[in-house]
Amino acid sequence: MNGMITLRINGLDVQVEEGTTLLEAARFLGFKIPTLCYHEGLSPYGACRLCIVEIGEGKRARLVSSCTYPAEEGLVVRTHSERVIRARKMLVELMLSIAPNSKTIQDLASELGVQQVRFEVRNEECILCGLCVRMCAEQMDARAIGFVGRGQERRITTPFDMKSEACRTCGGCIYICPVCQLRCQGPEAPSAVCGSCLQLEPTCLEAYDDLMCYMGPAGVCGTCIRPVPDELRERERTKVKV
Amino acid sequence: MRRIAGRRDLEKLRIQLLKQTPSSRPCITISSGTCGRARGSEKVGQAFREALRKHGLDGKVTIRVSGCHGFCQAEPHVLVHPEGIFYQRLRPEDAEEIVVQTLLHGRIIDRLLYVDPATGKKSVYEGEIPFYKRQQRNLLASNALLDPTSIDDYIAIGGYTALAKALTTMRPEEVIEEIKRSGLRGRGGAGFPTGIKWELCRRSPGDQKYVICNADEGDPGAYMDRSLLEGNPHSVIEGMIIGAYAIGASYGFIYVRAEYPLAVKHVGIALEQAREYGLLGEDILASGFDFDLKVVRGAGAFVCGEETALMASIEGRKGEPRQRPPFPVQKGLWGKPTNINNVETWANVPLIINRGAEWYASIGTERSKGTKIFSLVGKINNTGLVEVPMGITLKEIIYDIGGGIPKGKKFKAVQTGGPSGGCIPAELLDLPVDYEKLAEAGSMMGSGGMVVMDEDTCMVDVARYFLDFLRDESCGKCLSCREGTQRMFEILTAITEGRGKEGDLELLEELALVVKETSMCGLGQTAPNPVLSTLRHFRDEYEAHIKYKRCPAAVCKELISSPCQHICPIGTEVPVYVALIAQGRFAEALEVIRKDNPLPSVCGRVCHHPCEAKCRAGEGGEPIAIRALKRFATDYGLREGLEPQPSRGPGREEKVAVIGSGPAGLSCAAELAKLGYPVTVFEALPVAGGMLAVGIPEYRLPKRILQADIRAIESLGVEIKTNTALGREITLDGLFAQGYKAIFIAIGAHKSLKLGLPGEEAEGVLPAMDFLTAVNLGKKVQLGPRVGIIGGGNAAVDAARVARRLLRDGEVTIIYRRTRAEMPAYPEEVEAALEEGIAIEFLAAPVEILSSNGKLEGVKLVRMELGEVDETGRRRPIPIPGSEFTLELDTLIAAIGEEPEIPFQDGQVRVSKWKTIEVDPETFATGRPGVFAGGDVVSGPGTVIEAIAAGKVAAQSIDSYLRGLPLTREYRLTRPSVYIPPVELSEEEVIQARRPAMPLLRPEERASNFKEVELGLTEEQAIKEARRCLRCDLETKEGKAAISGRAVEAGRA
Repeated sequence: MNGMITLRINGLDVQVEEGTTLLEAARFLGFKIPTLCYHEGLSPYGACRLCIVEIGEGKRARLVSSCTYPAEEGLVVRTHSERVIRARKMLVELMLSIAPNSKTIQDLASELGVQQVRFEVRNEECILCGLCVRMCAEQMDARAIGFVGRGQERRITTPFDMKSEACRTCGGCIYICPVCQLRCQGPEAPSAVCGSCLQLEPTCLEAYDDLMCYMGPAGVCGTCIRPVPDELRERERTKVKV
Repeated sequence: MRRIAGRRDLEKLRIQLLKQTPSSRPCITISSGTCGRARGSEKVGQAFREALRKHGLDGKVTIRVSGCHGFCQAEPHVLVHPEGIFYQRLRPEDAEEIVVQTLLHGRIIDRLLYVDPATGKKSVYEGEIPFYKRQQRNLLASNALLDPTSIDDYIAIGGYTALAKALTTMRPEEVIEEIKRSGLRGRGGAGFPTGIKWELCRRSPGDQKYVICNADEGDPGAYMDRSLLEGNPHSVIEGMIIGAYAIGASYGFIYVRAEYPLAVKHVGIALEQAREYGLLGEDILASGFDFDLKVVRGAGAFVCGEETALMASIEGRKGEPRQRPPFPVQKGLWGKPTNINNVETWANVPLIINRGAEWYASIGTERSKGTKIFSLVGKINNTGLVEVPMGITLKEIIYDIGGGIPKGKKFKAVQTGGPSGGCIPAELLDLPVDYEKLAEAGSMMGSGGMVVMDEDTCMVDVARYFLDFLRDESCGKCLSCREGTQRMFEILTAITEGRGKEGDLELLEELALVVKETSMCGLGQTAPNPVLSTLRHFRDEYEAHIKYKRCPAAVCKELISSPCQHICPIGTEVPVYVALIAQGRFAEALEVIRKDNPLPSVCGRVCHHPCEAKCRAGEGGEPIAIRALKRFATDYGLREGLEPQPSRGPGREEKVAVIGSGPAGLSCAAELAKLGYPVTVFEALPVAGGMLAVGIPEYRLPKRILQADIRAIESLGVEIKTNTALGREITLDGLFAQGYKAIFIAIGAHKSLKLGLPGEEAEGVLPAMDFLTAVNLGKKVQLGPRVGIIGGGNAAVDAARVARRLLRDGEVTIIYRRTRAEMPAYPEEVEAALEEGIAIEFLAAPVEILSSNGKLEGVKLVRMELGEVDETGRRRPIPIPGSEFTLELDTLIAAIGEEPEIPFQDGQVRVSKWKTIEVDPETFATGRPGVFAGGDVVSGPGTVIEAIAAGKVAAQSIDSYLRGLPLTREYRLTRPSVYIPPVELSEEEVIQARRPAMPLLRPEERASNFKEVELGLTEEQAIKEARRCLRCDLETKEGKAAISGRAVEAGRA
């Protein structure tokens, strides 16, 4: 069953086991593909779309998420074509416009050279990558949280927004979160893109107010609290929003 | 209950059923799908049952409650068999009449027959109705032949014979081969070849396989799948059993939206019956094949129509797509090979097995075979389900089957493929409809929704509407789809609210492309289509919104305020003056009118009132009589002696010359005078007013009315010099030499076009403009007793009505090459002409002018017929060979159009091939500095209000020019200067509110004199009519704030 498959990535032929994803194959070759909702220990999900690569040739060439696409015999893959880069930049711009406070996303923006956000900025704590949901289900075997709603209503919560009996407050969800876990701690950057990342209060307090964090009553676990120097906090408060 | 034990047994049952109910037996078939029921078909059915009982026909006549027949427009309707008489739009009261007249006496009831709105022709039988005539109803026709809750009905018309044939005479591979050869492609939208999908699924390794029927029909305005499931569920089930046999599946699901209760019910009944008859379950038709089916109801998420999301939903998970590959045929439901087809695809299968792949492949185009059902909705005369062969053109669907656009409006676009499809513009009406052609045009087949849009549809608003739907229905898994649709929606909203900015369109395109390319499933990949296709075909509309703050269709509320004000070329504050009239504040109303319009009395009489065409009250009823209200206000001013208060700006020295005293020239002069410039108007004719004075007859625009407006302009300090023509008494260089610093050329278009026919030089042939000018100037014109006028515009009707007044006993005939519906003249003018005894020879065109000794004797005409629809949406007239006939005439007036006559040559002022002066369309500047031009001499023959607008804009440009400022125009959102509180209407008043008929002189009082025909509204009529205004100016954010008390009426608090 598990035969070997030969495919060509960025001009290099590579042999991988059947069932390998394009992302794994590309990383095996040393090509760096940015990811956000991907984690080696969790099943691929394909939500953030950052890992898109171009497959096929000519008119039939198209973009697919490499984390979910299985390697196919003879497939031609380009991980950094112009089309891929253009799309990745727009995706990062979209992410930045939702969660400009995330260091992970700011770093991605710097790497890809995204220098502007042309959409109205919303400060959200979550980009719905779903890592926490998979972490909870696959590694912790708890299934305490999941997605509800569609479109802009989509969010992650416990069933019926109530404290979940299944939650063991293990903190796995917070550990794996790429957005709220890592916050930019550096000095205020000169550009408009990276200016608003100095809000370093416990995020669960803002997001859940006096209701529930995944972990129990907001703020109790202390996981997401970071010390904020007073002068930074003051500067943040008086700063004009971009 | 009996189980059918094989093919022969099924045939025996069929013959037995046919004997029980022979086709000669009278039967009333009631179209009763969801739509029919909504229109009252169940009550009609009940009335029939009672009527039959009452007249002793109980048990002698069958009542068949069938599914939908597709013709929504005619619901509820019945077919009376055996003849097949079609009665439409029935009320329960009609049932007894049909029973008595038609069933008992064999008479046809005329008033219940369908009348074609285009031709006025009545149809007795379904097949005669144009809506049905051009269709090929392979699938839908059965709906009318059976009661969907009766498996016997289905078997009687040959149902399940395809299944019996497949199970007893074909191997699974042969079934697949047959489907492959038929060329059937998936009707869900993507168009994947069905036979190949089946083959892949059959070859896929696995002990357990599934088939699924995708009945999650979620596109707004698409309901063909519902109609099939409601009206003929067994055809879908039969198709699925055949498919399962071919694939080797033992279980299947029908995934249907819970919002289709009737479909769910009928499918449920059908499954029960099929099981009873041994057509489902174990050992089907004693063939040894086992298969069963289950209905799963979807919870209404649009994305669950996507196959991987649908399967997730059946498995009990959140309806969310996953990446393919693996495809469902490899790993589907619970990881097993699964074949998904939609309702219409499955329903085609029994037809193909029964009639053969060759028959099926003979229908359609090279790559798209068979028929496709479309739901034709929107701005179309015949709304309904339309089944047509692939390859039919859009034009045939919209005009021949759909009957064209209601109210004679202009077709703009058709949206195919549901929310994620695209808009196809009028230029592509000849497009043959198949999978590839639609995709090439930037749209798609989708499930077959066709939303027709007319000139009153804003394409930006349409794109915004669909994006609003899609951002709601995006499952939200992919960032690109969730955020991309949201951001596109935000940008579109900003544009429709007048907040659009430069770069928005580029950003939209960039974002749309990324969403299309990077999203995981079909929803995200096609979500940008509404944006991309409208940008591709209607970019000018987007630009109008962003750059000019204009919504050409007058839809986008925050841009337009009220459509009447927005559409008026000079932005007259209609809602304000109408509201003031409603409150009896007539003098204030007059001031509001005068503020923007230098020729208010003229416009109150002869404006072509584009405002009324766009009036919101006209959408469901009759538009407000805006022009009549304006006239009421100006007449009030004349009667009460309310002279306008001349307001002059600070005096300026630069003299300006205006050449031509028509509406463009006078308006420009008035505007400049208000800005403080000394202005002289030069007029070639002995009277001022241009076309208003010499083109429009006295009975429409009395000279004293025109004089009143001209006097008001003169009171601003404007000097008018008559008998002074450009190229005769004055020249451009001469005027500059005399010290004029700027010149506005507005000499109009007064030269009638020649007919271009042999014999045109004969004595007795008159150009319409020469004729009208002579009469208006009081000159004597020689007219014979028999006068013919060629043309269908206002000049033709004016000439005819003037001729009528000059010739007490003569015959006046208008000759027009199309029909009355296409006549460009105002309908009220045509009506008045007919009342005055003027004959109109429709569908006739001149071919030769007949004369002897240089004197006119008549005209040779050829009969025309209406052919194909042209790009203007009108049917093109085509001569009928050999139909020539002669009309004897003494005078022939040619009124087929006018063009300008340019009496000078100037290297810098360029003249186009239409003999119009070329200007910058935004500023009206010609190539020569200081020389501007506007009105008919620039646009060709246009309307009064457009000429006034041109004059006003040119005045602003001249002001900028003289101040040394750049010649740019500033564009703002349309807003009234003040919000007048609305009046309250009692419920009774709302019900009784009707547009008043303009009081007219009776035909015998007016046909031989030049007295004004329209008499004007009375005060009571005017107030009543003004109160009827819907005040849609109050619907903007500002308007709402104003009436909720957060802002007060400016200056009147």
